[in-house]
Amino acid sequence: MSALQIKHLFGLQGVSKQDIRTILDNAKQFREILERPVKKVPSLRGLTVVNLFFENSTRTRTSFELAEKRLSADTVNFTTASSSVKKGETLVDTLRNIESMKIDIVVVRHKGTGVPKFLAEHSNAIVVNAGDGAHEHPTQGLLDMLTIEEKLGSLEGKKVAIIGDIRHSRVARSNIWGMTTMGAHVTLCGPSTLVPRNTELLQYPELAGSVSWETDVKKAVADADAVIALRLQNERMDDALLPSTREYRNFFGITDEVLACCKDKVIIMHPGPINRGVELDSDIADGEHSVILDQVTNGVAVRMAVLYLLAGGRAND
Amino acid sequence: MTKACEKKIENVVLKNVRVWDGAKFVQKDAIAIANGYEVEPDYFTKNPAELDGEVDCAGAMVMPALFALGVDFREPLRDDIYTAKDGIKAMRKGGFYGALYESSANPVDDSEKLAALENRLAGQNMKFAVLGAYSVEFGSDRLAEMLELAEGNEDLDVKGVAGFGDGNASIPHNRFIRLAMEYGKMTGKRFFFQPMDKTLRKSGCVHEGAYSDMMGMKGIPRIAETIAAYTVLENARFLQVPVHFKQVTCGETLDLIRDARKKGIDVTCDVDMYHLLFDDSVLTSTDSAFHLLPPLRAAADREALLKGLEDGTINAISVNHTPVLRQDKQVNFEDSVPGAVSLEVALPALWKLLSERFGEAKTIELLSTAPAKIAGVTADEKLMNIVVLADKPHTVAESDFAGHVCNSPLVGTELSTTIVGSYIGGVWTNA
Repeated sequence: MSALQIKHLFGLQGVSKQDIRTILDNAKQFREILERPVKKVPSLRGLTVVNLFFENSTRTRTSFELAEKRLSADTVNFTTASSSVKKGETLVDTLRNIESMKIDIVVVRHKGTGVPKFLAEHSNAIVVNAGDGAHEHPTQGLLDMLTIEEKLGSLEGKKVAIIGDIRHSRVARSNIWGMTTMGAHVTLCGPSTLVPRNTELLQYPELAGSVSWETDVKKAVADADAVIALRLQNERMDDALLPSTREYRNFFGITDEVLACCKDKVIIMHPGPINRGVELDSDIADGEHSVILDQVTNGVAVRMAVLYLLAGGRAND
Repeated sequence: MTKACEKKIENVVLKNVRVWDGAKFVQKDAIAIANGYEVEPDYFTKNPAELDGEVDCAGAMVMPALFALGVDFREPLRDDIYTAKDGIKAMRKGGFYGALYESSANPVDDSEKLAALENRLAGQNMKFAVLGAYSVEFGSDRLAEMLELAEGNEDLDVKGVAGFGDGNASIPHNRFIRLAMEYGKMTGKRFFFQPMDKTLRKSGCVHEGAYSDMMGMKGIPRIAETIAAYTVLENARFLQVPVHFKQVTCGETLDLIRDARKKGIDVTCDVDMYHLLFDDSVLTSTDSAFHLLPPLRAAADREALLKGLEDGTINAISVNHTPVLRQDKQVNFEDSVPGAVSLEVALPALWKLLSERFGEAKTIELLSTAPAKIAGVTADEKLMNIVVLADKPHTVAESDFAGHVCNSPLVGTELSTTIVGSYIGGVWTNA
């Protein structure tokens, strides 16, 4: 059914360059549609999408819902706050009950790594990962790639610096896999308690030569074409990982001083929500280098492309 | 092969077998067993009425039955998960004649609990040794009545425990370990620990390494094990108390053990069978069947463990048989309950790997005599306790497991050998 080699979107690890290319190219077309007065296309008419969010989400859920509605799908929102999960129902039972209502696509966010894959193994629906724990957030990775291509052209040979709480970031992991697949080089920078240990990560042969580590933020951004600042995920930190946000901001925040070390045409990105004055200073978040709002717009386009292609690319039929 | 009849088979003839003679397998047309002992081949020709059944073993290997380390059948507190009856059935299917039993949920911290446990395990002609708890309710700051537990209690008709354990709870604070070992030294018994520093483990569920990093799962670093092991070894050196490490996982711990032995510390250890079969690369599957405790470590650790078996640093193999309900595994990895059942599949899963690497004699030793020695159990050599293993592939199925659990990462995997059956405690059981 899928117009891609993948049948579901669990993450960007292992997704082929060809599939990523197809998604990004389709997203560019949907991006144009989003600029039209009538933004709706009938691509998923007759299909039902359930947004199964076991974790709080505002922008991702809204973005998916908007993408589904732009594609004319019927959508159902399921959140734990208003669900039988609160009453003790298991994950599989929840899914089977929802599936019995004849849904076609499940968009899922959960605190546990691998939940989208687990759900796909227990259902016949197409599953799209909207964030699983600290594992992956593939549509965010794709929209980041779309934004870089839109602003800078091809990802091939580009240098991307990801700064901040990489340990808890599913966005960082999706970006590492997706961007290196597309030929970019990724530099990771953050406090040592918030960055994967590089010697271990080098066990992945796919990443050898494509990922590097830097503890000095000024060096990390110096030759970067794009800088992605990550949010400090305090809700996932159950340890003394940092002495203070003050010290974090002074050593790892994107400030004017850090921006002065960047290339003239660097773009500044952030997956949101921003802790202004911590990982990113306000004047930079709102400044000329910032493409943060473009990321948000591209999020809808990318999610439209993913849903459309996984459902079979019916509009092309 | 002859189909098993419903009636208990106590007197049996095993035809076409290769019998382990202590050094090699020797082809025999048949062996005859009556009332638990091998009898002359023509015994049943002379006494045909006594014969309960014949099994054509088609050239399968007959070897000594095995001894299990790391067994807990969860009764009485969690008999909703598993029972002693299930566990004994699993032992027979897997060819185990005995086990070192440690109750994690219901610490054996007094003679009454020991009596209740021995009562549940009795009556099957299996050999069980029991580990007592060194603290009341595991993890408390109160010492268990170790002297009575070690000696036994005539009024309650219980024999003494084989040693003292931690119920796989994390190592408590240093002063309490010192006091427990110092007091327990009077018993002369060995102390058993699963070395794991709880503060370094915290909420970790997998090995801290490349795979945990990229899967975004919280890791348990190797130093959680080595720091706990070092603490125990220093107490053992200071107090001159024998210790045993359950389910060691990494090369660094083996280095500590080698160094400790050079200093004269009496330390033994075992390894979880699944740690010999898998490493943390399986985490990419996010299959909760691989959620084990202690966690599967890196490929280099797996190789270090195999070398540790080869050079004698590791004394024996543990089954670490941990039944988990289906619904507790049918969730995402991090929310699942760790553990795997293993009694039914240990021998066929390990045989090829170990016998090709270490030879048949050492493989049998690692699964049979060596673990029994750690538990202080001596097998009656004249008694026929055997397991029959065929060079025949078998795909592990959920139905292979006793009870209503099947939480093994080997389900669906083709193993190169198959257990035909076992003769244990005077009864033949088809696998």
